[in-house]
This record gives sequence, C-alpha cells and structure tokens, in this order.
Amino acid sequence: MHKIKVCIADKHFIHRLGVKTILSVIGIEPDMFEADSFDATMSCLSDVGDIKFMVVAQEILCPDLDKSIKKLKAKSPDTKMLVVCNKPCNSHTGAKYILEKDTRQDVLEKFQSFFFEPEESNSENDSELLSEREVDVLKTVALGYSNKEIAEKLFISINTVISHRKNITEKLGIKTIAGLTVYAVMHDLIKPEDVKA
Amino acid sequence: MNKNLPFTPPTKMADVIHMDYRLIPIIGRFGIEYGFSNKTVTEVCNDYNINVWFFLEIINSYHNHDYFPQKELQKFNASLIVDYLSNTHAYYLNVKIPEIEGYIAQIKKEVSDKNQKNIELLSNFFSEYRIELENHLNREDAIVFPYTSFLEDAIVQNSITNEVVERVRSESIEHYARDHENMELKLSDLKNLIIRHLPPVMCKEVCQKLLTELFRLEVDLEDHSRIEDKVLVPKVIQLEQQILKASEAE
Repeated sequence: MHKIKVCIADKHFIHRLGVKTILSVIGIEPDMFEADSFDATMSCLSDVGDIKFMVVAQEILCPDLDKSIKKLKAKSPDTKMLVVCNKPCNSHTGAKYILEKDTRQDVLEKFQSFFFEPEESNSENDSELLSEREVDVLKTVALGYSNKEIAEKLFISINTVISHRKNITEKLGIKTIAGLTVYAVMHDLIKPEDVKA
Repeated sequence: MNKNLPFTPPTKMADVIHMDYRLIPIIGRFGIEYGFSNKTVTEVCNDYNINVWFFLEIINSYHNHDYFPQKELQKFNASLIVDYLSNTHAYYLNVKIPEIEGYIAQIKKEVSDKNQKNIELLSNFFSEYRIELENHLNREDAIVFPYTSFLEDAIVQNSITNEVVERVRSESIEHYARDHENMELKLSDLKNLIIRHLPPVMCKEVCQKLLTELFRLEVDLEDHSRIEDKVLVPKVIQLEQQILKASEAE
C-alpha cells in the first residue's frame, strides 16, 4: 500500500521536526516532503504531485495569508491544508487552523481530526455537485440545445450526452428543461438572455 | 373495518372520515356538513340529494389507489362526473393557484437583494406552470367534458344518429392523450428547486407554507387524474360502446 504524502512547510527545521513528532504521536507514518519557503512549497506541490495533506506555517504565507492559501489551493486543489497561525483568514478557503491560543490537547485533537476525519462536502459551491463535463452539458441543455447539437458542440457521442443528462437529473433532482434552466441561471452558469426561444 | 375494503352504502359516514381524514376536503366539495350522528353514507347522501353510487366511486377512488369501479359505473350519469371534475378544475384555478401565487409574492417582498433574482426565477417558472395547467384543464373543459355530455344526451334521448356514431369513431376518448405527466414533473422540479437549491430565505414560515401547498397541490392533482382515469374514462368508454352496439343493432 502507498503511504500518504504529507508536505510540511516551515522556515525552521526545529518546527518541521515538531510537526513530524506530532504525526508520529498520532500514529501517522507518511512520505514526508519538507519546504522552507513559499516558492519551495509551490514547487513541492507541483513536482511531487498527489500530496494529500499539508501543514504550513504562517511565516511561509506572509505577507498575505489569504492570497497565499488560495495560490496553494489553485496549484493543488485536492490537498487538505492545516495552517499554523495567529488567526484564521477571513475568506472561505477550506483550510483548517492551529492557533496560538490552542493548548497541547487542542493541537493534538486538531491534528487527529485533520488527518482522520472524512472530508466535509463543500456545500458552498453547488456546482461541485456536478463534474466539469456535466456542467458543460447542463449549460447547453439549459440554453435549449438538442442532444444532437450538444454532441456536436462538445465533441462527444449522443449516448454520452444522454448518460450525462441522466446523471445531472439524478444529482439535482430536476427533470424538466425549464427546471434545469432555472437552476443554471440561479447558479450563474448561463445568462437568461442567451436561452434559445 | 378492514382498511382496504371499499366503503359501501351502509358504511357509517363518521367512520369514513375516521378511516381516512384526507377525504375531508373531498366530502366538503359535495357540500356535506358534519353532525352525521349515526347516519350511513346512503342516509347522508339522501339528505343532500347526492347520488350515493357516484359519491362512493369518488371517495373509494381517493381512498384506495388500487380501487377500480366496474359495475357501479352503470348506476349514475356521466353528467355527475363532469360536474364534479369541472368544479375541481375551478377550485384549482380560483383557489389553489392564487393561494400559491400569494405566498410567492409575499416571499418576493421580504427577500434579500441577493436572493431576489432566484425568487424571480421561481416565480416565472410557476407562472409558466400555471399557464400550462390552465391550458390543460381548459382543454378538458372545452373538449372532453362536452363530448361526454353529448354522448349521454344522445343515449338518453335515444337519438343515435350517424353523426353521433361518426363522432364516436373519430373522437373516441382514447384519442385524448392526457399529458398529466409533464405537469407533475414541473411541480416536482419546483419543489426540488426550493428544497435543494434555493439559498435560505428570510421569511421561513411563508416558505414552509409555500412548500406545503405545493405538496398538497401535487397530491390533489394526482387524485384528480386518477378520478379521470378510473371513473370518467371507463364511463365514457361504456357510453361509446353502448352507442356503437345500438348502431350495429339497427
């Protein structure tokens, strides 16, 4: 079985060692990758690939915590992030935080839930209900294209279009084209004026 | 009393309601008031001058989805079904739909700016649904019901002319494909858009009432379609067969 891949990003060797110790305390033996700067962290994410977890210090993310987290997320959207910092950033990034005020017990519990709890579904972004391709199909259906037109437009077979439509209907619980159009406009996937008459 | 057995003329009227309280609005639509004492279905129907067989067909069809009337159809006139169904059409269009539109209008007034667009979309969706429902019900009012009355009049007046026979052959009830299904889908989509995809609205209570009414309308329309399929259509088929038989005998 492959070991899970964890990236530890902190300027200080001693801090990285501390994180490794905590991982060992909670019973995790991962493949570890270390980075001591923001650039090194970015390269680690792109070079290694498939990094499941990252523990990153605030120092690495300075000066703009929010922006830096988003950059890392953009580089590797599936990596879960645990940030060691003074206070969480304001916008929703999906990252978890270890704060200065946290006690020893808090820190251990946060590490445990970070590594062992199943990923929460991200209810903020409804379009994640659907795959990227399903969103493409949904947009064309909502705009009023026929299965044949959709197949030609997206370079897929009619059977694939039908199968995507079936999945979309199942996932959204919406069966009529008019209903799918309402959904697509509601979620800014299409503009109402673009819908075919 | 076994719940699956149909109600019969000697069933106590009070037992009917105890057995299935969903029949309250149906019985109300016949104009029947409470205070039945120990009276049977027949006695109450006689008090209100209602054909007991017709009354039983309606409540049994609502009560048991698998119930299918056969012999009893002979025991009342098609005009009773036509009147009943026309009245329920009027009830949907004049009472139920405006009630739902009222709730949507109320939500529109109280909704946050962010959600305004979404409520507007739902409101338009329901308006389109209303137009389709109106067209569907009007089509029945304008074509199916007059056709039914036309057949019954021909039989009652014993004037089975060539014109009548020709109309039975060309306009048979089976030609009126009833597109209930598409309208049911739309109603179900509207419910799901609210339940699953609409960001929360401020006026929760109105939204709950709206959803409840949409569910009620859906059940009501399903029951209504069942009455059409199980009582009206078989009755019209009987009339058609009666006319064709009489024309062959001549």
